Amino acid sequence: MDVKQRANSVGTLRFISIFLMETLARWIPTTPEMEVKMLLSRHVWRMAQQADRLGHRARELRAPLHYSRPARQDFMTALRQLAAVSDSIDRIDAFHDVALPSLAALYKRYLAETDRLTDEPTVVICEQALTEIDTMCRERKDWSSEIPQSRSTDSRELGAVRQAVAAAREVIDTSEAAA
Amino acid sequence: MDPFETKVVRGVTLRKDPVREACFTVADTDDQMISWPDWSDQSKRERIHRHMNNEMTTTEVAAQCLADFPDAPWELRMELARQVWDESRHAMGLYRRLKELGGRKGEFPVANFEWTVSSYIDSVVGRITVMNRTFEAGTMDLMASLPSEWRQNGDPTTAELLEAIAADEIHHVRFANHWVRRLCAENRRNLLKVVQAVRFLDVAQKALSPPPGTTNIVGVSVESAAQSAPINVPDRQLAEFTDEEISVLLKQHGLEALATGQEARA
Repeated sequence: MDVKQRANSVGTLRFISIFLMETLARWIPTTPEMEVKMLLSRHVWRMAQQADRLGHRARELRAPLHYSRPARQDFMTALRQLAAVSDSIDRIDAFHDVALPSLAALYKRYLAETDRLTDEPTVVICEQALTEIDTMCRERKDWSSEIPQSRSTDSRELGAVRQAVAAAREVIDTSEAAA
Repeated sequence: MDPFETKVVRGVTLRKDPVREACFTVADTDDQMISWPDWSDQSKRERIHRHMNNEMTTTEVAAQCLADFPDAPWELRMELARQVWDESRHAMGLYRRLKELGGRKGEFPVANFEWTVSSYIDSVVGRITVMNRTFEAGTMDLMASLPSEWRQNGDPTTAELLEAIAADEIHHVRFANHWVRRLCAENRRNLLKVVQAVRFLDVAQKALSPPPGTTNIVGVSVESAAQSAPINVPDRQLAEFTDEEISVLLKQHGLEALATGQEARA
């Protein structure tokens, strides 16, 4: 990856982090269960911190400070579908079982493709993000007695989100226009 | 900002309440609430339960700001995201204490006044003016005496919890002070938005304040509950209210002598 490609990826990861932060924020007042609100609130701050670190790194990669770059159209559609989920259980599962693994896969792919020495500042950010994603998933399990449990079979809404995210294989927009 | 549902209470249009579980009874006004002036076990639980819901409401206001104002400066959004986390920890701490004292969520009615007013305002500068600089600052005033009252009534555990919460709240007020000043300096139109927000708050508070003789549903007068706490000067200074602002507040509370001393120190 050259510097421009790194900046594009960092900008996209930041865009997704902010999208997820805003989605969680929108869900908090519209989800009935107090414990779910509280769990989601913890994740808001983690997503914000990830976005912040990526935003500062973007400038070091010759992009503007806090550069955000929308993902490719398919992934954007999947994200919007995820944000529209309305049931509490579906929201918990959509975030922890669909959004976070998808985000983790993006960070892992970045780590596999970049030069770990010359791009070490981004590597550190990615590794920290992966640790935080693990923490968020662990917190969901730790809170399992306090929050509604997953259904044995996905609801139609959640199933559709899983499908849409899985189908959007390419996430980073590599076109010149979006840079 | 997306359109939102509203409700009308005593002639004032407010934002509709955030969603609550079925176990909660949501009140619109103080006369629909329960509180006792004593420190009985049930009174202690009610105080914690009310505070827990207030923290939950503040979590929701800060979260809704993140959702409603994507173009707000990133540094301000970071402060709001941090506030979401802080307030949720406060709510969970109070919930934990409530359960330790044998209580349960939904045990008493709750009111979401701060949400219904703050989240009705259509600018981020207006919302942090009302939520952080007014409501949270008011809580800061109250917190000056609350921990010692809990200690005097034999509950040092709750007192310690409240002290930890109070320390966090100072920063929530401080960042609002910083950002209201900065946004108004950058664009004078924001000053107008601040004035509009404060006027709206004033109208809502007047409309919803209990008429003389009002009692709550257990027959306790709610007039004393409506009176604001004495100004917490040290914490307001930590939260970066100016000496002039603190003097104005002290004068409003009939404490001219203290206000004069405040000016003398300035």
